[in-house]
Amino acid sequence: MHMADALLSPAVGGIMLAASAGAVAYSAYKCKDDLDEKKIPLMGVMGAVIFAGQMINFTIPGTGSSGHIGGGILLAALLGPFPAFLTITAVLLIQALFFADGGLLALGANIWNMGFYACLLIYPLVFKPIVKKGLTPTRITVASIVSVVLALSLGAFSVVLETLASGITALPFATFVTLMMPIHLAIGLIEGIVTGGILVFVYKMRPELLESSLENKKLPKDISIQKVLGVLLIFAVVVGGGLSLFASANPDGLEWAMERVAGTTELETSGDVYGNAGEIQEATAILPDYGFKDGDGSAVGTSVSGIVGGGITLLLAGGVGYLIYAVKRKKEKEA
Amino acid sequence: MSTITDSMNTIHSLEELADGNTIIHRLHPLVKLITTLLYLVLVISFNQYDVTGLMVFAFYPVILMALGEIPYKPLLKRLLIALPFSFFAGISNIIFNQNLAFMVGGIPITYGLISFVSIMVKTVFTVMAVMILISTTSLPQISYQLLYIKVPKIIVEQIMLTYRYISVLLEQVSNMYTAYILRAPDAKGIKMKDMGIFVGQLLLKSFDRAENIYYAMKCRGYDGHYLYAKPDRIKKSDWIYLLVTCAILIVLRFFNLSQFIGSFL
Repeated sequence: MHMADALLSPAVGGIMLAASAGAVAYSAYKCKDDLDEKKIPLMGVMGAVIFAGQMINFTIPGTGSSGHIGGGILLAALLGPFPAFLTITAVLLIQALFFADGGLLALGANIWNMGFYACLLIYPLVFKPIVKKGLTPTRITVASIVSVVLALSLGAFSVVLETLASGITALPFATFVTLMMPIHLAIGLIEGIVTGGILVFVYKMRPELLESSLENKKLPKDISIQKVLGVLLIFAVVVGGGLSLFASANPDGLEWAMERVAGTTELETSGDVYGNAGEIQEATAILPDYGFKDGDGSAVGTSVSGIVGGGITLLLAGGVGYLIYAVKRKKEKEA
Repeated sequence: MSTITDSMNTIHSLEELADGNTIIHRLHPLVKLITTLLYLVLVISFNQYDVTGLMVFAFYPVILMALGEIPYKPLLKRLLIALPFSFFAGISNIIFNQNLAFMVGGIPITYGLISFVSIMVKTVFTVMAVMILISTTSLPQISYQLLYIKVPKIIVEQIMLTYRYISVLLEQVSNMYTAYILRAPDAKGIKMKDMGIFVGQLLLKSFDRAENIYYAMKCRGYDGHYLYAKPDRIKKSDWIYLLVTCAILIVLRFFNLSQFIGSFL
């Protein structure tokens, strides 16, 4: 479910970064208030546990396939929502940097899809109310399954929305949703059962771990956090929806911005240099009329000459790289 | 369990690379962070049908890899991980967008195909840019810069601690997994019904570990705050690199070199 940079437009990536940064800042602020210093190394180790835990493949009976844990709800249950959210954020950043698992610009979207829903939305609104009446293995299991399914579905649905708002894929909404949702529902069910199993085991061995995390993070007046979440959600939907309208009408955010600033999407080309270059270009061109000036394909900027030019550009880039290597090697030999 | 050994190797080899001493390694981390982010934004800002303009951006990773003496093989391996999802999204474009863009010698080129190529190229470029950053800058260096740009301390500490303990935990999981498999020779992985106990044990051990780490830190004067060395100042050469690279990238964004070269043919 990690999204890559290439599937996002700058507008959507930027909005999601801003939204996640807001959530991270708020969580950091909450943790500053009531986090005991002992919890800092615990959060770090738990992040590493989730990272390593995601690599444990377990076999799903009757299917022959395998799955792995996600960790959002698990962390929230063990650490409390805000520390859990910060921990997930750190894990996602490391995955993006070291493992190309999700992009750097897509980090905001990934934190939102995999951390925000699980830790800051589903945990306080679904998991906690279910186990509030007292911890029992059944309640823990039910709470885990429901929460993980909901969190994962929300995350998968957001992936659909973010990808479509970016205008990169031509997949129709309905097809995309029917491709994404059932599979994530199934994954959520499996993951929920496993998460429940883990939490029940921890509860049986060391009940105080779960109890303390449930009691001690006195969510500062339930109303206020819901207000914050509500505001964040509305902000994301409104801004996301509004900007994606622009995005679809003007697929290129930068050009749109430029048009706003300069009144045109083309840079003004005036002066002798441009004129002369233009003349030389026309005189030497074998395929002078490249674009699709009269058609609607002007945005394409691709044609036979363009493709050939692109190929030469790639070769040039490769050549430059090779040259630098060669020079460096020579220098090393001389030294 | 190959994924675990794989990730351990990845982290170690990237750490070794980041330890190098080339022009790129010596650049100020903040400068590298800014140029990488600018590069990413510019690459993904390209219209999905504008493949030729995008090609020019191949210069950046190629030149940086050459200057930073980064080997190609591990990078390509990382690419393979990032590609499948993009591939899936790209393939769907081929299927759903069959409007003809133009013909090349009798072969129809559709808009879907163009956007497929564009998605794949963007994936390759963005992944390479991030890998170049992490191959020439260690994570602690990047973390310090995050502090400098006012990212809350607690999240930076989380990144550093998690990163530090990943290799420890990976090793522990690997040992536990081996122990399990030795006692269940036919199993292809952990049985789902054992996962609760397996990960639960891991968690309990980790709680104890975290407590010991806390006491160890406490013995060394930890009072809830990390102490940091003052980060290096940005040198004149860093400024020059920053300005020149950003200027070139922005010019390349709006000037289609491929089209220009193609027009001479």
